[in-house]
Amino acid sequence: MSPVAVKVDRLEKSLGPNKVLRGISFEAHSGEIFGLLGPNGAGKTTTLRVICTLLTPDAGAVEVLGFDTRSVPQEVRRRVGVVTAEFGVYPRLTARENIAYFAELSGVLDGEVGRRVDSVIERLDMGAFAKQRAETLSSGQKQKVAIARAIVHDPPVLMFDEPTSNLDVLASREIRQFMVESKSRGKCVIFSTHVLHDAERLCDRVTIIHQGRVVASGPTADVRGGFQDLEDSFLSLVEAVK
Amino acid sequence: MGSLGIVFRKEIHEILRDRRTLIAIALAVLATPTVLFVISQVATRTATQTYTVGYSGDIPTGLDTLFGATGLKLERVDDPASAAKKQVDIGIVFTAAGIEEYYDPSRQSAQIADIRLQTILSRYDAAKIAASLQQKGVDPSVLNPLPVNLHPLSSPVKAAGNSFLSFFLPYILITMSLTGGLSAALDTSAGERERKTLESLLLTPAPRGQVLIGKILAVSLLSLVAAIAAIASMLIALSQISFGINGGEDARVSLTPLAATVMVWLAVLLAASFSSLTVALGTLARNFRQGQAYATPLYFITIFPASIILFIPDFNPSLAYYLIPILNAVLVLRDAIIHNSVSWGPLIVTSASLLLTGVLCFYAALRIFTREALLVRS
Repeated sequence: MSPVAVKVDRLEKSLGPNKVLRGISFEAHSGEIFGLLGPNGAGKTTTLRVICTLLTPDAGAVEVLGFDTRSVPQEVRRRVGVVTAEFGVYPRLTARENIAYFAELSGVLDGEVGRRVDSVIERLDMGAFAKQRAETLSSGQKQKVAIARAIVHDPPVLMFDEPTSNLDVLASREIRQFMVESKSRGKCVIFSTHVLHDAERLCDRVTIIHQGRVVASGPTADVRGGFQDLEDSFLSLVEAVK
Repeated sequence: MGSLGIVFRKEIHEILRDRRTLIAIALAVLATPTVLFVISQVATRTATQTYTVGYSGDIPTGLDTLFGATGLKLERVDDPASAAKKQVDIGIVFTAAGIEEYYDPSRQSAQIADIRLQTILSRYDAAKIAASLQQKGVDPSVLNPLPVNLHPLSSPVKAAGNSFLSFFLPYILITMSLTGGLSAALDTSAGERERKTLESLLLTPAPRGQVLIGKILAVSLLSLVAAIAAIASMLIALSQISFGINGGEDARVSLTPLAATVMVWLAVLLAASFSSLTVALGTLARNFRQGQAYATPLYFITIFPASIILFIPDFNPSLAYYLIPILNAVLVLRDAIIHNSVSWGPLIVTSASLLLTGVLCFYAALRIFTREALLVRS
């Protein structure tokens, strides 16, 4: 198996009075799509936010490529790219300028920025609208800008948090294709979703969390078990917890 | 380029493409000259306008000459009391016993005409008494046993102009330092949340302190440019506009190099402080509109100290008063304009106070910007 890229160990996190994570553990590897599944409010987004250092764990530990999120958060941020359902962009900057801004802030060297930006624009087929102001772009085009800015510094770990929830069928398919392509490039892709159909098609391994706890984890086929599909398996697991 | 420079450049780039902000500043810059032009037109018209005095009865000899020289036109009417209501500015009836005057105090023209009439009558009385005394062989100077010779140490007209500037300039400086960058401050703080770009920004390895300083510097620069542009436009307007003629001396106002230097220094400090404060308030807000609601009390907080010169022109406070932000800037600027001098003590205390205010606001903004609640709330 490929090396561990993200290691989450007995992670606990409260937001205000709510204990959102209650001892989550899993590992995601380079060169795989790892599914983080669960119903709304299960703690998926909070887990991803702790991994990418936006939130600090109350207990437990998270390592990204060997870097601890608490002690060296900036090293972790250099190695992580995050795409969420909320693909906000700077409306008065062009698509290209949006991407270049994040490339510079992510530490891409001055002489490299132009080449890197051109490279992601070509890879995501954004040439037709790269010079347009972001305020004039469609939702699908904005989502591409959001993906481009997340990958422009070529991070080895990519996290997708419900990336297709605001997109139409065509744009959603492009996102899925992009995740598969990233996996083939050896990236660790963590895919958080409650759309189990997508997860079943894409993920090599999954972890299902419910009410802040892991209720199942392993290769997708194993978690599905004897059920017809992942959704049935998931419902049975959730019912068991109740 | 460091993160600070990258953020600063991007913010300036966005501001320059924000038509809403640029138009608002341009309108604010043009508003002052427009208002001053209107004021000067009204003032000049009031000073040179001839007012009509409706009268009946016989005019005492020589009095009609004085009327003509003081901008009052005499017009015979049947009933001066009713004519004073609308037809003429004031009405007078010359009788053997004296003069009956009718005027409506609610009319500004009647008030001005009344003042001119009183001036004429007191001169006429003095002249008649002097002539009468002379006829009787008495020196008329007995009426004025303590004659006063005035020796103004500076031009009274210039002093009036400086007094006008000492209120108006701090007012413009403070309001433009606040409002010039307010829209940009809210856009770069509350706007990041509203557009859902905040999380992506915080995900970059850029140190948050540098990101925040970059934003505050960009807003400060805009505030500074807006304040100086507004004041420059005001000064240019004042150099071209005359507020009537006073004793042959044209009442134009101007800013001395010392006052201008003090003004620029205070503008830098105010812009930095206000920018830190508005970015901090904007960071607390979930969206632009909420940020505007948070910032609204600032208008009152800033306008009150700026107005104190209007209500208490001779306010000469102790050094401790210079610790109060905004009020201190108004006082230092007033002294620089009126006395053309700067006392180092008040200037140093004022600078330290404004710098400390800016640092505290920056610290508050940084605390908010680095709290997890910032993301959880959004």
